Amino acid sequence: MARMSTEQLAAFVRQVFPRLDQLSYYELLGVPSGSDQAAVRTAFYRLAADLHPDRYHTLADRGLKEQLEMIYARICEGYRVLTTPDKRAAYERALNQGKKRLTTTDRESRGPQNPEDSLKHPEAKKFFRMGMICLGRKDWKGAVMNFNFAHSFEPAAALIAQKLGEAQAALGKPGGAGGTPPKTH
Amino acid sequence: MAVVGIDLGTTNSVVATVRDGQVVVVPNTQEGYLHPSVVSFSPEGLKYFSTDAVARRILDPKNTVYSAKRLIGLRFRSDEVQKALVRLPYELNEGNNEQAVFIGPDRTYTIPEISGLLLGYLRQCAELFLSESVSAAVITVPASFNDSQRRATMDAGRIAGLDVLRVLNEPTAAALAYGLGQNMSQRIAVYDFGGGTFDITILQVENDVFEVLATGGDTFLGGDDMDSALLNILAELFNAEHGIDPRGDQATRSRLLVAAEQVKRHLSDFPEARGDLKNIALGSSGEALALRFHIARSVFETAIRGLVGRTIQTCQDVLASAQLAPSQIDEVIMVGGTTRVPLVRAEVEKYFGRPPRTDLNPDEVVAWGAAIQAENLANAGESLPSRAVLLDVTPRALGIAVTGGFAERIIDRNVPVPVEQTRIFSTSSDNQASVRIQVCQGESRRFDENVPLGELELTDLQPARRGEVSIEVTFKVDTNGILRVRARDGATGAAREAAVNVRGAMSEYEVAEAAERQKSEEASNLPEVPEA
Repeated sequence: MARMSTEQLAAFVRQVFPRLDQLSYYELLGVPSGSDQAAVRTAFYRLAADLHPDRYHTLADRGLKEQLEMIYARICEGYRVLTTPDKRAAYERALNQGKKRLTTTDRESRGPQNPEDSLKHPEAKKFFRMGMICLGRKDWKGAVMNFNFAHSFEPAAALIAQKLGEAQAALGKPGGAGGTPPKTH
Repeated sequence: MAVVGIDLGTTNSVVATVRDGQVVVVPNTQEGYLHPSVVSFSPEGLKYFSTDAVARRILDPKNTVYSAKRLIGLRFRSDEVQKALVRLPYELNEGNNEQAVFIGPDRTYTIPEISGLLLGYLRQCAELFLSESVSAAVITVPASFNDSQRRATMDAGRIAGLDVLRVLNEPTAAALAYGLGQNMSQRIAVYDFGGGTFDITILQVENDVFEVLATGGDTFLGGDDMDSALLNILAELFNAEHGIDPRGDQATRSRLLVAAEQVKRHLSDFPEARGDLKNIALGSSGEALALRFHIARSVFETAIRGLVGRTIQTCQDVLASAQLAPSQIDEVIMVGGTTRVPLVRAEVEKYFGRPPRTDLNPDEVVAWGAAIQAENLANAGESLPSRAVLLDVTPRALGIAVTGGFAERIIDRNVPVPVEQTRIFSTSSDNQASVRIQVCQGESRRFDENVPLGELELTDLQPARRGEVSIEVTFKVDTNGILRVRARDGATGAAREAAVNVRGAMSEYEVAEAAERQKSEEASNLPEVPEA
């Protein structure tokens, strides 16, 4: 239960890191698959005492440190999954399908909120979206035009004013489409 | 070069270090070891710290900042800041990026700047006491502190010219100081009732490995609330006798608050408190009116029973989340000055069915642990008898806003750190050019009921039909409990990362600038500290 020398640590990381995705949580923690929670915990504590990133806080080799952190984070993940009954059951099913890691690959039915969700007027939404597409293509002129349209439908929306300002600033910059910078709102 | 542990408290701070394998606490200018977390500004821009600043809470309440910890890392418009605003005699305003800023006599100060001034003072005290420069520190925070509060605390450390080795959870630090679990396995509850916050943490300790099983708390519950309760009792007594409510006057209010704190301390040791406060207000004919009081401990206990009850309720919730009964706890450790209140000790003993441990000074125990962890990190704990490793967990669940006003969880509460989790989302409208990923902390399914942390925008999405673009959102929490968010456009295959704009936080540039400024100002404003 101690800190390994830098050479020992480097050898360990070199051996484990490239195979990280091929190791099951059981292999990673070094416990047989039927182990109970107490055995998993004991194994985890022993590994944590040796491998916790805090043990190597002063290590100069950043790359080695990062790889160690990734290994350690995966060990933590394994510990949590194997000591949480429903997660462990899900992991057993995943293992049977050849997966070594319990992750959600299902796409969520709900997406993140879109910037235009906060807008109320449907035309404002439409022009705002078009403005955002123009911004993405660095078509500042088109963006200013579309955001101005959106602004005319929903003048109170701070989001439109903000994006209009951004587009105007980009348009006004040397190397942009040229012209004088229009006044910001 | 020394490294220190700092318990940056709401009311008091403590700084400690390890010397020759022993923890040493840095004394303040008086005979104690507590440094009041107060900074006061004169119109000329002079700064007073700690005990010198406490006196100015009465003389110049408008320019004397205390309880900055209640404000750190919070947006000006947050409920917490708005609630605090009503009670604080100094003025706050909204600054850049939704931050709360203090309106000082010379300029405005962000809250990390205020805490940075305090930390700088503590660093200087330690340097004078140790006759050695202090380069790095472990700074403790309540376990319930969210991501923004932790970041802001780190910013404060950087402003004070410190390399912040770690922001460490206070209860974990306390458990470390007690050095439990050597050669045996124990389950420990750390009941931490400080000036401004309450935390309860359950740890499993075995052979120098400290694992946090569950943690919870209330960032707005502490001894200050007991002081307020006593202030109200005092004010009501005065009002009943003279028909004047002394709470209307800010200076009188500050004076009563100081008196209330003394009464509270007295009532911890004695069954009653008597006193006579002169010149509280002027009567109808201009005569000075005094407040004579006689308060029994039972009256105080009635006033605070609800506050103590809230802590026990939180203990119940946290034990339930760890699927443990109170009888399964082997030791209860008391931390924080408020645990000196007899009612608190009695209620804790009643709930856990065993007398709590109070053998280490509840005011200093967190700084002890922080000093040990600083030594562990900076010097690989070479001078220490045992080299503990702390396995901390995420205090709250982390997620993002999804359509319909919901929050989709990405990382659960109480997960061991470091941790990295990825979830895949899709766009919700056709030809969507960008998505805005709003990050929040909390367990509610409704986004609005959680604490908003910040947001990032992923732009330049390929035009596609709704649902066809997949967006991978990765959350990574490091050993400091600090979150990093990465969003990747799965459709183009191009990995794009965006930094989270943390609302209510200082920018990198602002922090660097504040650190520069403090460094140059410190040179001309040295504290007086007893010789080592």
